[in-house]
Amino acid sequence: MTGLANLTPHLLNGVSLGLMFALIALGFMLIVGVMEVINLAHGSLFALGAYFAIFIVGLNLGVGIEARYALAFFLAPLGVALVGMVLEVAMRRTYGRDPLYGLLLTFGAALVIEELIRLVWGSTEKQLPLPPDLSGAMLIGGFIYSKYRLYASGAAVVLILLLYLFLEKTPYGAMIKAGAHDSEMVRALGINLTRLRLFVFALGAALAGLAGIVLAPIWGVRPHVGVDAVVPAFLIIVLGGVGSFWGAVVAGVLVGIVVAVTGAYASEWSLLSMYLLLIALVTWRARGLFGKKTVLEN
Amino acid sequence: MKRRKLLQMLAAGSAFYGPWKVHHAWAQAPQKKPLVIGLTMDASGQFGASGTSERLGAMMAIREFNEKGGVLGRHIEALHIDTETTPATGSRVAERMITRNEVAFLIGGLSSGVANAIGQVAQKYGVVYLNSNSSSPTESGRDCKRVKFVWDGNGTNFAQAIVKNAIKVNGGNWALLTNDYIWGHNTSKATRELVVKNGGRVVDELMVPQGTRDFSSFLLKLQQMKPQVVAAAVGGDDFRAMRQQVLQTKLDRQFAWVNNQQDWEDVYGLGAEAAFGVFGTTWYYRFDLPGVKEFVEKYKKTFPGMQVKNPGNTFYNGYVATRELLRCVEEAGTTSNIAIIKKLEGRKMTARDRMQHHDAWIDPATHQVQQTIYMATYNDKPAETDDIFKILSNVAPADIVDPDAPKACKMASYQETPSYEQ
Repeated sequence: MTGLANLTPHLLNGVSLGLMFALIALGFMLIVGVMEVINLAHGSLFALGAYFAIFIVGLNLGVGIEARYALAFFLAPLGVALVGMVLEVAMRRTYGRDPLYGLLLTFGAALVIEELIRLVWGSTEKQLPLPPDLSGAMLIGGFIYSKYRLYASGAAVVLILLLYLFLEKTPYGAMIKAGAHDSEMVRALGINLTRLRLFVFALGAALAGLAGIVLAPIWGVRPHVGVDAVVPAFLIIVLGGVGSFWGAVVAGVLVGIVVAVTGAYASEWSLLSMYLLLIALVTWRARGLFGKKTVLEN
Repeated sequence: MKRRKLLQMLAAGSAFYGPWKVHHAWAQAPQKKPLVIGLTMDASGQFGASGTSERLGAMMAIREFNEKGGVLGRHIEALHIDTETTPATGSRVAERMITRNEVAFLIGGLSSGVANAIGQVAQKYGVVYLNSNSSSPTESGRDCKRVKFVWDGNGTNFAQAIVKNAIKVNGGNWALLTNDYIWGHNTSKATRELVVKNGGRVVDELMVPQGTRDFSSFLLKLQQMKPQVVAAAVGGDDFRAMRQQVLQTKLDRQFAWVNNQQDWEDVYGLGAEAAFGVFGTTWYYRFDLPGVKEFVEKYKKTFPGMQVKNPGNTFYNGYVATRELLRCVEEAGTTSNIAIIKKLEGRKMTARDRMQHHDAWIDPATHQVQQTIYMATYNDKPAETDDIFKILSNVAPADIVDPDAPKACKMASYQETPSYEQ
């Protein structure tokens, strides 16, 4: 097999992994972009989505696992959105103050959510059962590949596109973008900024929950699984440029490719590679791939 | 007696009796100081689940002794601080427990990196430390300590029990999946040496960084390498994630998997199929041996409502290590470190007492417990939900002794070890 033929499956696998990374980062990006809050509870909300889904799929509703899984896919993010709204209400006193207050509050919230998960579901690993049609393996180009990973990547693409359309084609999306650009002007135009922030936080939390459901069958579910999500999410939005939608998507895919290729050819560097990528890119372009130029760079 | 005199006497009696009734400690013999044992066990991080189990094992042994009145007439107290599967935390926790909490002994250790860090602090102060569950060969080799006793079988023991037969049955082309830290490195090193010694070859070795959650690139690479056997030395949460992803791709059927050691908590709850491949363990809750049923019942009674319904090897190690230490204290009649070390060195433990198939002993040259190693695989005919292991064979400790450990182990003499007693 030639070098390129050897490399191709890893590149494709990297794209698939990257799409899932992008999905994890989107909710984080939305909250940072609009509210300028680094939500360290993003990982815990990610974990909460997975646990809510496990709870819903485990309910005895007299319907098949397919229906329960579909139900979980819609209801679990709503549950996480509600938790996100509570968190946003708690955060209101920190707006306009030193960003450290927001950081500390979301860090505290992350710990509280993780401990609550431990209390309710216990410390041991859980599994999110999958409908049989979504699980199993398939042969692609002579390689055995997880069927679920393809569906998960597909789900990530659909969710990314839906969010894009929502932000670009709906008046609510316009308000969110305007809020990210100049919140005082938005308020002056008569838009209820408090409600807008509440909605954005709920949407960001729901996206974290959705990512948790999608990643649960791959990563497994344990109370501290959120830590595995929040670090790449943070890295990806810095890499892509804070507040940039497509920046987050491209950076996610880039991180996925780098992690996948190093995993195959220099496996001991596979986790470190994303941080090296960040250092290299930020050294070259401090605002990230799609970040806006600041006055400091003029 | 005049009324005034009577009242005076009553007042004086009350003044004495009242405080005596409530605070009569002064009137009794002085209470003995409790014996504090420091439990240096992970409650979070890669080995959080197994660390929790070994802590419960130690707690059950302590409870048994306290029910008999403690040890040397002293009540035993356990002090646990999470070592977070992080060597720096392990070191800090050990230092704090010794200098501030005045613990008599230290017990605990899943990650060999953490155990090594704790061992260094323990040796500095002379505190006897039982490494209950970490199993890098270096723990009883290069990193051995006079005060440290290693309770688990190590990577070399397991590799010796499994490699030769696996080459015979599955073939000589091996790939190694190695968790990128001290236990993984040394376990894979032992496996590699045994593969070569038995006529096989290692086609490649993939390092798995700690904290890896996505194994897709490793699994694709394995398919490109086309080995006959994949020997995995991956532990904790990493191993759980890997097992799930191997099952999703059905790669458990593509290669023969040799998973050096399988901790119960790393596979519990994943379903019986997750216990694929051949792997080693030191104990199973369904052994048909005297005492096992009672031990399992005691676990259930002591810790009702646990998610892990039956105890596994890490719980077992936590229990037997603590029990043996407390027995040594009783026998020695002191908590003095050198006296306890001498009691532990060369100590013989019967198979019946340890609920294993062969007698065990503590090697005085390496301080490792030499014990029965069991080969196991997925149980296709489980008697109940938790019955996920099928025990294939047991290997006597004499047959799997790590031959390099005594040469590598250079421990401080008794004189060089600081005296310590609490």
